[in-house]
Amino acid sequence: MNPAKHFKQMRKGLDLPQAIAEADRCLLCHDAPCSKGCPADTRPAEFIRKLRFRNITGAIRTIKENNILGGACGELCPTHRLCEKACSARFASLARPEGAERPIQIGKIQRFLIEHSWQIGFKPLQQVAPRAEKIAVVGSGPAGLSCAAELAKGGYPVTIFESRPEPGGVLRYGVVSYRFSLDFLRNELKDIEDLGVEFKCSHPIEGPAAAENLLKEGFRAVFLAPGLWEAEPLNPKAKSVTGVYSSTDYLCGLRDGRFQEMAGRIAGKTIAVIGGGSVAMDCVESAVKLGVRDVYLVYRRSYAQMPAEPDERIEAQEAGVHFLQLNQPVDYVTGRGRRLSGLKLVRTRLGEPDASGRRGPKPVKGSEWVLACDVVIEAIGNRAAADSPKWYPRVKLAGNNLIKVNPRTGRTSVKGIFAGGDIVRGPALVVQAVADGKTAARAIHHYLKA
Amino acid sequence: MATNIDLSTDFCGLRFKNPFLLSSSPVSNSAEMVERAFQAGWSGVVFKTLNSDRLPITHPSPRMHYVNYGGQRAIAYQNVEQISDRPLRHNLLEFLYLKKHYPDYPIIASIMGFFEDEWVYLAKACEDNGADLLELNFSCPHMCIEGSGHKVGQAFHLLERFTAAVKQAVSIPVMAKMTPNITDMTEPALYAKKGGADAISAINTVRGISEIGREDWVPRPNVFGVGAISGTSGPAVKPIGLNSIASMAKCRELGLPLSGMGGIETWVDALEYLLAGATLLQVTSGIMHYGYRIVEDMIEGLSDYMALKGIGRVSELIGKALPHLQETDHFDLNRQGIVQYNLDLCIGCGQCHIVCTDAAGQAVEWDGRRRRPRLIEDKCLSCMLCQAVCPVPGLITFKEMPPGWKRRETAVKDRSLEPELKHEPFTKEGPHECVA
Repeated sequence: MNPAKHFKQMRKGLDLPQAIAEADRCLLCHDAPCSKGCPADTRPAEFIRKLRFRNITGAIRTIKENNILGGACGELCPTHRLCEKACSARFASLARPEGAERPIQIGKIQRFLIEHSWQIGFKPLQQVAPRAEKIAVVGSGPAGLSCAAELAKGGYPVTIFESRPEPGGVLRYGVVSYRFSLDFLRNELKDIEDLGVEFKCSHPIEGPAAAENLLKEGFRAVFLAPGLWEAEPLNPKAKSVTGVYSSTDYLCGLRDGRFQEMAGRIAGKTIAVIGGGSVAMDCVESAVKLGVRDVYLVYRRSYAQMPAEPDERIEAQEAGVHFLQLNQPVDYVTGRGRRLSGLKLVRTRLGEPDASGRRGPKPVKGSEWVLACDVVIEAIGNRAAADSPKWYPRVKLAGNNLIKVNPRTGRTSVKGIFAGGDIVRGPALVVQAVADGKTAARAIHHYLKA
Repeated sequence: MATNIDLSTDFCGLRFKNPFLLSSSPVSNSAEMVERAFQAGWSGVVFKTLNSDRLPITHPSPRMHYVNYGGQRAIAYQNVEQISDRPLRHNLLEFLYLKKHYPDYPIIASIMGFFEDEWVYLAKACEDNGADLLELNFSCPHMCIEGSGHKVGQAFHLLERFTAAVKQAVSIPVMAKMTPNITDMTEPALYAKKGGADAISAINTVRGISEIGREDWVPRPNVFGVGAISGTSGPAVKPIGLNSIASMAKCRELGLPLSGMGGIETWVDALEYLLAGATLLQVTSGIMHYGYRIVEDMIEGLSDYMALKGIGRVSELIGKALPHLQETDHFDLNRQGIVQYNLDLCIGCGQCHIVCTDAAGQAVEWDGRRRRPRLIEDKCLSCMLCQAVCPVPGLITFKEMPPGWKRRETAVKDRSLEPELKHEPFTKEGPHECVA
C-alpha cells in the first residue's frame, strides 16, 4: 500500500455484529454510571440499551440529538477516564475492587452507531419552524460546530466563519488522519450542513473589533470559538532555526495539502519531539508512520507525569518511539545556514510537586549533552493568537488571552457575545468543546427570547 | 480424562462405545461424513432418512435459517431439509462401506415410506445391507410431499400399522421417532409400542418460524418468495425435548428404551437427557454449528463428571431425575424461603432492583448513593428473577425461612375506594379438580 494512503486511512471501527456483541456485555444498569461521566451529557446507557433491543435508529438518535460530533467523540474521547471509568461491567466489588473485566467499549459503540447512520442514510435530526434571528459563529472547530448545530436545530439561521480554507478546526488541522480521517469529518460536517448551517471558509474575523462588529452586521448573537492555534515556543529566539517546527505547523502540514512536502522532511531523518501530551504522542507516532530513522520523545519529567493518555503512551512505545525522559531541552545546536544539527539537553531529577501537582524537574548540573537530530517538533502547548484581543476589544479576558465567560451560559462581558472551547478553557477535550457549544446555544436561545 | 469410566451403552441389544450418535440429518448424509464422525468419537449413526426412489426428492433452496439471540449466533436452526435425495443404491452402498470398515459402530437406518409395502421394502433393504436397527421417521414436520412425515406421527393408527408392518418384515430392532408437534407424546408412543416398536426416539424438530424478513415480509428460509412453517431445532428446543423424554420415561405403560435428542451440544445437555430417562443420545444442530469435534468435550466432560461423582457406568445415571419429577400438586407449600444477597460481591448494576420492582414484589430497594440493593425480606416472593439477571454468580442465593414465617401481603393502592367496591365472596362448595 502506498504510505500516504496508509497514513490517511483511519483504523476500522466495529461492525454491526461486533457492536451487538459488545452491547450484549452491557449490564443495563439501573442508574448507569456511564451516563454520568460525559462532559457533553451523552447517555451511553440509553443508546446501548436501544442497540441491545434492536432499536438501532433510536440509538443513533440518542447520540446525534445530544452530540452533533458523536462520531468524532466516539473515536477521539479518552473514554477510559470518562464514560467507561465507572462501568459496572468491570465487575468491581468490595471483594474485588480492581474489577475482573474490561469496561464496555462505549466509545467504539458510539462511533459505530454514527458510522452506521451514514451507511443506512438515517438522519434523525429535525428542524423546528425557521426563526429570523441570524447568529454568527467564529471558528468551525468542535465548539463552533456544536453551537451552530444546536442553534440550527432550533430553527436559527447560523453562519460559521472560518479563517482556514476548510471547516473542522482541530478535527481538520490538528488531528492526524489515521486517527480521524477526512472522509469521517466530511460525513460529520454533512450532517451539520444538512441542518442548514452556512459555512464561510477562508473568512477570518480578525480585524480590529471584527468579532464585535458582527453584531452590527445583522447578527443577533455571536459565538466565539476560534481555538488556540499559536504555539507556545520553547525558546522565542530559536525561531529562525531551520528544522524546528511547532506541533501546529507539523500537524497542519500533514493535512492541508503539504503532506508530501512535510512527509519528505521527516522520512529517513532523526526527529526529536518535545512534550509529553496527547499532541506530542500524535507527533511521534505519525513520524514513525512517515518512515523516520529514529524518533525521540523528549520529556523533562518522567513517564507517570506525562499528560498523554495511557493508551497513547503505550501505542507510541509499541510503535518504536524512544522515550527520553528526565531530559530538559536547553538550546538548539545548529550548523551551516542555521540548520538544526542537534538538541542540547540537560538531565533532570524530579523534585517536589509544582503548581501542576506533579513532581517538578530539577536540572542536574553539568549533565548537558547533545542529541544529534535533523528535525525538532515542539509540542508543548498552544495559546491564543497574540493579537486576538483586538478582534473583540470590549470582551473581558482571563489570563493568557483566554476569554472570560460565565461557565453556566458561555456569556462574555459583552451582551450578545458568547464564547466556548479552548479559547475559554485553554487546551481541552473535543467533548468539552462540544459541551461548551451546546451550553452557549441554549444561552443564546434564552437571550434572544428575553 | 478419567480412565476408569465406562461410557458404553447397551440399547436394544446393541453395544455403543458411548451414548453419543449422529442423528438422521445433513450431518449423516454420506459414508464419507459418517466415517469422519466415527473418527472424531461418535459411537454410531442414525443415517439420513432413506426413501425408495419412487418419488423424487428435491430440496428447496435455500434450506435453512437460524435464530440469533443478541451476539449469540444460532440458538436455534430452522430447516426445510427433506429426506435423503440420494439414490437408495448409493445409500445402501454407504452402509456396506461403514459396516466393512467400522464393524463396531452400529448403523441405525432411518426410513420413511408412504404406504405399508414401501415401509417394508425399505426396512428389508436396510436389514439386508447391514443396518443394525431401524428408526421409523414418523416425524419430519416439513415434507414437501403431502401426507408424509409428521402427518403420520399425528395419525396414531397409521403409525401403529406401519410399525407393525415393518416389525413383521425384519428381525432387527425397530425404533419409532416421534414428533413433538402434538399435545402428549406418550399417546403416539403407546401406539408405536402396540405396533411392536422396541424403542422410541424423540424429538424431531418443532414446527416454527425462525424469522420473518423485515424488508420482504417473507418467513425464512425465503424459498424464492415463499416461507413455510418448518422444523426448529437447536439449544432453544432443549426444554421441549426434555419434557418429551421425561414424560415417556415416567409412563409405566410404555416402558421402552428411549433415544433422546433436541438441543444437545455439551455434556451437560447430554447428562440432563440421561437423567430424564434417555439411554442413547443423538445430535445434529450442535454439529451444524460447531462440527463433529464437539463429541470430544461431551466424552471428556461426562467422564470427568462421573469420576468426580463416583459413578462408574452411564446406566447408573439414566432416569435418575425421574423420582424428583412430579406434578406441581406435590409441592410442599408450607415451606417458604427468600433470596439472600452477599453484597461483598455486588458490582452495583441494579438489575435486581429493576426486575423486582417491575416484575416481582418490589422487595429490592435501591440505595442510589452507595449504588447497592437493599432487600426487604418479607416482600420477597422468592421468584429468583433477581438471581436470573445478576451477573455475579453466587451473589444471590435462596434460603429457607423458619416455619411460620409470613410474607407481607401486596398492598392495596387505595383503600378509600372500598365504598364503591362490588364484591360478594364465592361460597359454593366444589371439587378439588376440574369437572365438566
